[in-house]
Amino acid sequence: MAYDPRRTNSGTSTPQPPPPPPPPETSTQADMASTTQALETANAANAATDSYKLKFCTVCASNNNRSMEAHLQLSGAPTAFPVISFGTGSLVRLPGPSITQPNVYSFNTTSYNQMYEELSGKDERLYRSNGILNMLDRNRQLKWGPERFQDWVPGVPRVDHLSKGDKGAVGTEGGVVDIIITCEERCWDAVVDDLMNKGTALNYPVHVFNVDIKDNHEEALTGGKAILDLANRLNEAAVAEHRIHGSEGWENGTGPARQSFDEKVPEILADWQEKYPNLPALWTLAWL
Amino acid sequence: MAQPMDNVVDQVAQLNAARSLVLGDAAFYPQIVNGILPIVGASTRLELRRWGANFLAETFASPMLAVAQKEQLAPNVLQTIREILELPETDTTVLQSLVQTSASLYPLVFRHVVNNPQDGKSWETMSAIKQDILRRMDSFPCPVKLCCSKFIQRVVQVQTPGLISDPRRPDQNETSLAVVPRNHALLSIPNLEAESSGLLDRLLGVFQEETSDALLVNATLNCLAPLIRTRQSVANKIINAVLEFYPAKHVRPPFTPTIRVSVKSMERTARALLINILKKNPNHPLAGRMQMYIERLMQSRLEATDDASRKRGLPNEPTDGLDNAKRARLNALPPPMLKIPPMAPGPASFDRLFTLTEDTGLSSFDVKQLPIDLVLKIVVPLLSQVNDSTLSQAVDAVRTRYQTITKEQNLQRQQQQKTASQDEDDDYEPEYQPMDVASVVSEEASAVAAEVADLQPELVSLGPFVLPQPPPLSEEEAGEIGRSAVARVFGMLNAAETSPAPAKSQSQQKLGFARLAGSTFDRDAWSVLLARLATRAPAGLENDQQTKGDVRKQTTIAESIRETLYRFILEDFRGRLNIAIIWLNEEWYNDRIRMKSAANQRDDSEEDSEPTVALNYDTWATRLLDGFLAYLDSRDIKVLVRFLSEVPEITIPITQRVASLAKDPERVNLCVQSLMYLIMFRPPAREMCLNTVEDVYQTCKFTLPVNIHLCHVSNMRRKDEESRPAAGKVLTKWRPQSTVLETAANAAPEPSEAKPVTSEP
Repeated sequence: MAYDPRRTNSGTSTPQPPPPPPPPETSTQADMASTTQALETANAANAATDSYKLKFCTVCASNNNRSMEAHLQLSGAPTAFPVISFGTGSLVRLPGPSITQPNVYSFNTTSYNQMYEELSGKDERLYRSNGILNMLDRNRQLKWGPERFQDWVPGVPRVDHLSKGDKGAVGTEGGVVDIIITCEERCWDAVVDDLMNKGTALNYPVHVFNVDIKDNHEEALTGGKAILDLANRLNEAAVAEHRIHGSEGWENGTGPARQSFDEKVPEILADWQEKYPNLPALWTLAWL
Repeated sequence: MAQPMDNVVDQVAQLNAARSLVLGDAAFYPQIVNGILPIVGASTRLELRRWGANFLAETFASPMLAVAQKEQLAPNVLQTIREILELPETDTTVLQSLVQTSASLYPLVFRHVVNNPQDGKSWETMSAIKQDILRRMDSFPCPVKLCCSKFIQRVVQVQTPGLISDPRRPDQNETSLAVVPRNHALLSIPNLEAESSGLLDRLLGVFQEETSDALLVNATLNCLAPLIRTRQSVANKIINAVLEFYPAKHVRPPFTPTIRVSVKSMERTARALLINILKKNPNHPLAGRMQMYIERLMQSRLEATDDASRKRGLPNEPTDGLDNAKRARLNALPPPMLKIPPMAPGPASFDRLFTLTEDTGLSSFDVKQLPIDLVLKIVVPLLSQVNDSTLSQAVDAVRTRYQTITKEQNLQRQQQQKTASQDEDDDYEPEYQPMDVASVVSEEASAVAAEVADLQPELVSLGPFVLPQPPPLSEEEAGEIGRSAVARVFGMLNAAETSPAPAKSQSQQKLGFARLAGSTFDRDAWSVLLARLATRAPAGLENDQQTKGDVRKQTTIAESIRETLYRFILEDFRGRLNIAIIWLNEEWYNDRIRMKSAANQRDDSEEDSEPTVALNYDTWATRLLDGFLAYLDSRDIKVLVRFLSEVPEITIPITQRVASLAKDPERVNLCVQSLMYLIMFRPPAREMCLNTVEDVYQTCKFTLPVNIHLCHVSNMRRKDEESRPAAGKVLTKWRPQSTVLETAANAAPEPSEAKPVTSEP
């Protein structure tokens, strides 16, 4: 299937690439493609029964390690959050044989699969041992390729991502998100700045968080879990708001319970920060 | 119960399917929007209203739907929105979406009305919605309020003149007040502009609130960038409002984590906005202020870092590799600020200076009324409770006040003096009137006194302290003080002596004649200073004392310095010969000067009183020589020769002293050689020295045995005999015609037996 041509390319010297990845990938893709319609109806049913979910967006520099780990955590959680992910760098930069020779790809036009193939063709042992191939393999099962935040036009439907089978695509068809979580202050600055440049045309409020995560696999994993925790807390508050102001009526809640989701955000972040003092956080309320 | 619920679920499912359709192809929007309006209208269930409002918001925000199509859809949708709003709607989610939709619709409708002045109904509906939103904004729940501020931003953006990029193609122009024709039937430009100005104030009012709501502030900051960028006429007003805003200003302790998050977010968002503006236009006229503001924000974050580190302490080892600086920024709050009122008006007093409260009751309270033990009881526990930073703030405040006051007073005083001196100049009259002098002086004195009197109350309270005139010193006291000053200078001389300074002596040699006395601050400099103190300073004064007939033998300062110098040199005459020479040179020069001036005086006055000059050089040169001659031994030829060659003048007493050396057979050569040196290299003293040598030659022969020390009697004579040829040799060379020599030659053996002079060390 997809792996045959590369096998002939890479020759005999390299150990056998892991067979498990392809089947799930293709199968999920097929599943997704075929069951889009079914999912949507299911989703509609869920929406009516209080399964309100916040829509998330994760951002790091290259849309490869930290944002994708968070993307995996959020989309793979029991709640299966709607999530999209971006990078704010000018190019996708992956570590190369030395610090001065990174592997550079362009955003939006290079797929994770392409990168995977190219790097495993270059020096499979190196990229296997430094974890790059594992990372790309994970990424190519999540979505097609890295996207650049600055090129994102909020509000443009992302139906095609759904049909491509991107993980977390369900719920993000409308092309808007409620929460953006960046993984580095530089990225947070870039995101806030870019949203101002985009002109706030949608009049749609979005909470922009930063969770400072060092760019390595271990930190990305712990950071991703912490981001999931934050997402769960935020979503819980949002769902609560929907319930209170929903059919039971606005009069039922009193005091803090009547506080809206938005008002609770600083508190939620502060509580979360107490638990994760090593992941300095930042927040603002911006507009799409 | 279950049936209608299922019904709703079905309906929502259908609606979602419709949404998927339009998301897939925007061409279906008109059809779908018009189709769903009745289903999600004002009277339907909450779920449907929510879905509908959400869908409308999405539709009119969508970049996929063309503006023209949105404009077409707008009138129907407006009506629905108005109806839902007037229900009145209470659900937050629905309201939020409706306000969002209105914000998106406003420019569309505005443009539509500009191009279709006859469509009064759309404008009327839009205005009604606007009024409704604005009126209820403050009572809305927070999320809706946020959207309302965004709505206001949209209205302001539309109703402020924007750029006309191309007047020939009005379709291309951005929707703004600039595209409204002057004579529009519905839209009155001045009214719209006034409204938008008021709304902008309302939008920016969030920065002046006593307690900043982080959500509202951030939401406002984040939506201002497009306004600043595209609306030149209000850009500076907005920037100024942001620059006046200081997130941590009104924050009071306790600093809960939530407050920290809020303040930090406001600081960072304000910074992000200003950086965004600066990036777009680095030459912005307010760029400098914006830069300063950003720096100030950074600083406040640094202060907060200190605060945080005191409370929690940073993790010592960055095991996770995270940047410590980043981590430290976590809790951003400055310490509590003490509010310092400006100093009370009126003349400065200590009371006013230290009053830091504005409470009149407190400041007028007289603490002296309380018994002292009660005060103690209150003050001691209070002091232990005082916050360090508050105390230092208060002290700083008082200090600044004090400095300002002193500065002001100094300035005043200078100005007064200036005016006084100007007055003097004005009063100056060129005709000399001796009678007036006294009165002018007294006037001046009284003026100064008045001035001082004017300043007196201030001096009591504050201001520079002027030392009173010291009482006049008695002569003894003055002398005592002078002597102690001299003693100190000698102390310096000793101190300078201990530090070896080969480099200095080198530099001195280099300087040569160009050197200035006393400019190097080494030992020589100090000795020059002392010598001049002794010679120049009191020159002429001693005479007066003598003429007054001061019977009491008073040691003048000069004498005491000389005495001390003399003793100082004798303590180590070999090492301090240099000082001796400096001193004697000064003495000699001083004597010359005084003789000269005395001579002039005599010429001028031509009176009986002959000014006499006490010559110090002779006295002290012979005293010094007497002092150390006794200690010279036969190998000290260099010391003696140096002294004799470098003193300014050789006198007969000096040569006599030298000749006396010959009395000691051990030192005959010393005597003869030093004299010979003088004969050879000091022509003015040559005759004098030759005479002395003759004397020596003779005394050796005739008188010496009488004068020799008793203890040396036995070998004296023999040595004496040996020394004689040495002197004789000198004489034969320099004064061959000497009679002494001839007579001696008859009596004595051959002079050739004498040791050669040069063989001496």
